[in-house]
Amino acid sequence: MEPDDLSTLIDGCRAGDALAWEAFVRRFQGRVFALAYSYAGDREDARDLAQEIFVRLYEARAQWLTGDEFLPWMFRVARNRSVDFLRRRKVRTPPATVDEAAVDELADPAPSAEARALDSDRRGLLRAALRGLSAINREIVVLRDVHGLSIQQVASILGIPLGTVKSRASRARVELAERVLALARGRGGV
Amino acid sequence: MSGMTCDSVRAAALDPGTHPRDWMRRPEVDAHLRRCENCRDWIEAFGAGEHLWAAEPAEAFADSVLARTAGVEALLAELPSLAEMDPGPGFAERVLVATSRRPAAARWRVRWAEAWRAVVRRPRFAWEVAYVATVCWVLIFGNPVGAWEWGASNIGAIAQERLGGPVNELRTDLESWRARWAPEPAAAPGAARQQVDHVHPALRAWQAGAERIQRGAAYVFDALKHAWTSIAEWVASLVQQMWPPPAEPQASPARST
Repeated sequence: MEPDDLSTLIDGCRAGDALAWEAFVRRFQGRVFALAYSYAGDREDARDLAQEIFVRLYEARAQWLTGDEFLPWMFRVARNRSVDFLRRRKVRTPPATVDEAAVDELADPAPSAEARALDSDRRGLLRAALRGLSAINREIVVLRDVHGLSIQQVASILGIPLGTVKSRASRARVELAERVLALARGRGGV
Repeated sequence: MSGMTCDSVRAAALDPGTHPRDWMRRPEVDAHLRRCENCRDWIEAFGAGEHLWAAEPAEAFADSVLARTAGVEALLAELPSLAEMDPGPGFAERVLVATSRRPAAARWRVRWAEAWRAVVRRPRFAWEVAYVATVCWVLIFGNPVGAWEWGASNIGAIAQERLGGPVNELRTDLESWRARWAPEPAAAPGAARQQVDHVHPALRAWQAGAERIQRGAAYVFDALKHAWTSIAEWVASLVQQMWPPPAEPQASPARST
């Protein structure tokens, strides 16, 4: 999405434009759902959680930040909602199993069925490995490597020192690589 | 016994920046490695032995580990593709419905319902209810002993109706037992009156309030009883009208002889 496009969308939502809000929901539903899924670990819960996040964003639309600050702010709101959700569900860490249905339903642009299956399998492997990480490492990998936020933004969202994020980011990638390898051995190759 | 855990040993190997390699801890690490086969394998697999005490930065070591895990880094490069997931059909519509403007009354109802659910789901809710109920009980009926006496006397009255003689004997015994433990009566004849006058005004107000509540409850109970009786009578009369009892057979006229 172009920055100007996003700014227009944000301005429209802040002004209470229903069409702008609908466009916003349709554009960010995949992203918010992916983030919710990384916390909830279950497709149905992720749908509920993603909806809660959108409702919260809608209620706070007058306070939306503009420009480059919007996405980190949105992720912070989503993260806070997710933590509340997990607290309510009394589950600190999501189950260490991958939802195969979610892997199958991934929107893949791959042309052939074989390539799609292979791609889906690789993503499923990554998702399964991510589920096995500790909560803080998973959050860092998801925010930094999956959603592409900067180290400063991740530190700000998680409320931990910059140095901790730096050191944990590299360690989390190593841990993820180990888990991917272990899972791949179990499945018979990467 | 060494205080090092597997995590702390591996963290020290990976991340010397946040886990300074104090030479005084080296015996602990060595002791841990001697007894922990998993950590030995881990360090050997990732070539971390020389990094454990060397001054190589953590980032470089992480890169070297990733390089050893051939093929994985290509997979990790696909992490950004996980940024979006299809939430399934109808999700956007569901969100739009949830965020569409609703009547104020409905919103208030929803908010109250949510607030009530949040209160009920609190882990100490039962304790809080018990506490509030106890406070209400004490405020209405006085102290718990008074409430117990009030309840006991009523139970006694009911029991007396049903059982009669044995209960009377038991009550006499209880009265004599209570009199034995009761405080000495005041010497002056007007002392009791004076004692009553010295009751704290707030306490008197609470007692008056409790009395009113009891009277109100009795009134409501009587009204309900009256209403129920009226309804029952009305239903009975309706039933009687719809299905009247069979008429008495008329006596056959006396035959003339």
